This record gives sequence, structure tokens and C-alpha cells, in this order.
Amino acid sequence: MTDFLKGYDIQYWLESAPQGYLEGTEYGHQPGEQEPPVVLQNEVLHEQAIRSTVQLVLGERCALAASSGLINAAPDEASKRFLATQTLDEARHVEVFTHRLHDLGVKKSELESTLKEYGNPNLVKFAELLLEKVDKKDFVAGVVGQNVILEGMAFRVFEMLHAANESANPKFAHILSGTIADERRHVGFGENRIGSLVRENPDRKPDIERLQKEMSYYMLATFGDAFRQGPSPEEVDQILEKEGVKREKPGEWQGVKLGQATPEELEGVLGDTILKEFKLRLGRIGIEYQTPIQP
Amino acid sequence: MAEGGADLHQMDPEAFREHVRSFQFWLDAVEGYLEGTEYGHQPDTPEAILEPLERDRLITVLCNYCMGETAALEGAGGLIAIAPNRATKVFLATQTVDEGRHLEVLVHRLRELGVAEPELEIDRRASPKLKSFKIRLHEFVHGRDWEAALFAQNVILEAMEFAVFHRHARTADPRTREILEGIIKDERRHIGFGENELGRRLRGNGDVRERLREVRRELDPLVLGCFEETLASVGTPSDERVDLSRSYVQAVERLGFA
Repeated sequence: MTDFLKGYDIQYWLESAPQGYLEGTEYGHQPGEQEPPVVLQNEVLHEQAIRSTVQLVLGERCALAASSGLINAAPDEASKRFLATQTLDEARHVEVFTHRLHDLGVKKSELESTLKEYGNPNLVKFAELLLEKVDKKDFVAGVVGQNVILEGMAFRVFEMLHAANESANPKFAHILSGTIADERRHVGFGENRIGSLVRENPDRKPDIERLQKEMSYYMLATFGDAFRQGPSPEEVDQILEKEGVKREKPGEWQGVKLGQATPEELEGVLGDTILKEFKLRLGRIGIEYQTPIQP
Repeated sequence: MAEGGADLHQMDPEAFREHVRSFQFWLDAVEGYLEGTEYGHQPDTPEAILEPLERDRLITVLCNYCMGETAALEGAGGLIAIAPNRATKVFLATQTVDEGRHLEVLVHRLRELGVAEPELEIDRRASPKLKSFKIRLHEFVHGRDWEAALFAQNVILEAMEFAVFHRHARTADPRTREILEGIIKDERRHIGFGENELGRRLRGNGDVRERLREVRRELDPLVLGCFEETLASVGTPSDERVDLSRSYVQAVERLGFA
């Protein structure tokens, strides 16, 4: 256990993140990068950018509260130190995504009302459920909820968003790439640490499987809503043509052309990828995937 | 320089406060003094040759530091949940990782000194008074008492550490000295935050001031007792112990908490 945690110490984190891929960035992106004018000027694209960023801020706020709360519940000193780095990673994500909302024109005085207006109720419910476990100092349930379910699922969504924005919005893509690099560490820690705890406490398995069944419903429902609420590829094409913006080569992710796929296709490929990978992750920690049910 | 090249002195006070509590500000600050270090010291800093008694005393002192930093790590992490706004939560997240780093470099130093099981050794050697302080701090945090918890963490605990580390760094071996100097730089930020946040709340609020005086009356004996226990166990002459206790009292009073 100690050896695997060596790869998650603060020295490693300092060298790989603040002194590595974050060096020279400003609020997660390269200095001087800005939102593309069409995102700021077109009403539909502007609202879509605000709506999706709101979900990112809410998810990261939940992750910040959970990871900081778990420090006190961690059973060993090395896990506490890892969670300290995760706490700061999540705080950085809250900061950079909030900063993006301000760049999109959301005033500081309007921040909380904007989050309330656009926040997905399923994501809010997920956060409540997770933070309830954290408040009870349930380390295993907290790490499964946070590092395996929330981050394990969000990781793929971030990758897809990154592929979709790489040429169209380099500023947002850079913010996402730093976030993805952080999430990769968190997911790795969750799998390794919980895997060893499940092996040591096999009696916790049914409890964790029940938790996964309940929590993953809210995450999948959040992703589904996100696709249904966004403009279709045809609408985006029409907007870009009207605004005189040349369509960049569409980003491709998992064999799907992101600018041309329908919301149903996107939801399908994302669902397949997320679930396929999620089942693998659960298998690695000794947990059998349970099909979510609508509560 | 602040974001966009603006001079910090030209920023409006609210924007300034948000800026100095940001991840970005922390990143720029630590880049300067942590770059190139490995577990808190330069890789080529030589290991001093210590006599067995000297080494044993240093281990006892470091075990106490580790207990203090564990209290600070758990305290800072817990404070995030009750912080009044986003900028304060972000600052406390930077403090959480600072405290985690302090614990890590001190534990690593214990290993360099040949301690095979640092966690057991810390528990065995740490001052009972310091353990009591840790419990009381966590009671404030779990009781969601923002002012008392912040006072205990960012004023009392940080002032205690600041006084001790500052004094120790003057006579420490080269590796320990570099580690302590890096920690002191972080602690200046934490003390500044505590002073600013509490200072604004104390202004014109006699009730809060009186309550914090009570907290101090309760915690001072633990802090001073901890100095006494630790310094006596490492053979520090009594006049030096009194001197260090005085440094702590002066540090707290300088922050306006007489």
C-alpha cells in the first residue's frame, strides 16, 4: 500500500502539475487566449457555453467539498496527503471554470443565481448523496462516490468536450486538458486505494454496490440532459454560416465526428464508453456493476 | 503582478483580496521557492553528521512538528466546508496542500534520519499537550465555529509553529534548515490570511473579540505546555524555553490578539 501511495505524494504532484503541465498557464489556459467571438455574440451558443460550464462548476464544487471532507476520514497519513493535493486540484477547477463563466459575461453578483438557474437537478442530487457520505466520515463510500463514480464518469465527458473544442475553442480545450490530467491521477488513486480497502473489508462490497447503483443513475441522467438541452449539429451549422464563421474540421472522438453527430448518437457513444470503462474500473476494485435504477 | 499585468497596488480592495486567495497567486508564489527542491531541500544539500543523542533529540522535535502539521492539515481541510465564500475555500485548499507538503517533507526527513515507521514514532513521541490542542481544534472545526476554528488554526497554531521553526532554523543542520525555511514562507501566507479575515470580523465587534480572548485563554496553556514538554525532552535550557514562549506570545499579540 505504501509503495503505490509513493506515486501519489506531494513531491510527485508538485513536479507533474504546478511545475509541469500548469507552468505558465493563467487560469488553466495559455496567457492571452480568449473565447471565440461567436461564442460571446451568438445567443444560442453563448447560453450553451454558460449552461455546460455551470455543470462543471457545480461538479467541481461538490468534488472540492468531498475531497477536503475526506481528509479527516482517511485511515492513513499518506492518503490524507494525497487528498490534500486533490483538494487543491478541485479548488483550481472551481476557480478556472468560474473564471470562464466571468469571461462569458456572468457578473460576480450574478454567479450564484446563474448556477441555480442552469444547474442540473440530477447533478445537485448526486452531490447531496455524496456529501451525506462524506459528512458521516465514510471514507470508502466517499472515495467510491468521488474518485470512482463522479471522476471516473466525468473523465470521459471532459475528453469528449476537449476533442470537440480543440480547434474551435483552444482556450477552453486547454482548460480541459489540465483538468483531465488531474482527474487521471484522482481516478488512479481511487481505484488503487479502494481496491486494497475492499480486499481488506469484503463485507463492504454489497454496500458499495448499492451505492454505485444509486449514484450512477444521477450521473447518467445528468449527461443525458446535457445532450438533450444543447443545440443540434444542424443548428450549430446554421449559426456558424449566419455568423460567417468557417467550420473547422470536426473533432473526432471514439470514431464519431463530434460536429456532425446527433445528440442521440453522442449520448449513445458516451454512454457506451462510460459504462464500458466504468465496469472495468469497478471490476478492478472487486465490485460488480449494478444497473442503475430510477429512484 | 496581478492578472493581466495590473499592479497589485492599483487593484480595488475586494479584487485584491480575491486575487491573493486564488490558486493562481499560490502557484506564482511557490514556483519561486519550491522549484528544484526534493522533499523540501535541494537535492545536493549534504547530510550532517549527528551524534546519537543529537539525532534522537532531532527526531523527537520533528515528531512534534509532524503532529502539529497533521492537526493543521486536518484543520485546514475541515475549514473548507464552513468557509463563507468561494475565494476563501480556494485559499484554504492552497493551505491544505501546504500543510500536507509540510507533513510530507518532515516525515521524509524522519526517514532520512533512519526512522523506519514514522507514523508510530510520531504517535509515541509527540507531546500530549499538542495532541489535546489537535482535538480541541477539530472540535471547533466540526462544531462549524468559523471564527474560533480559524483563530485556533491560523493564528494560535501558525504563530506557535512560526516562533518554533524560526528559532530552530537558526541552529538546525543544513537539510532541516532548508525544510524549515520553506515551511516558514508558506506560513507567512497563512498567518496573513487569518489576520485579514479575522481582522475584518473583529472590527467593531466586541463580542467576537471577547470570545476569541476566551479561546486564547483556553489554548495558551496547551501551547505553552507543549513548548515546555518538547523543549525539556530535548534538553533546551530553561531560559531559552521562556524566550521561545515569549516569542509566541509576542507573535499572537502582534496580530492584534492581546
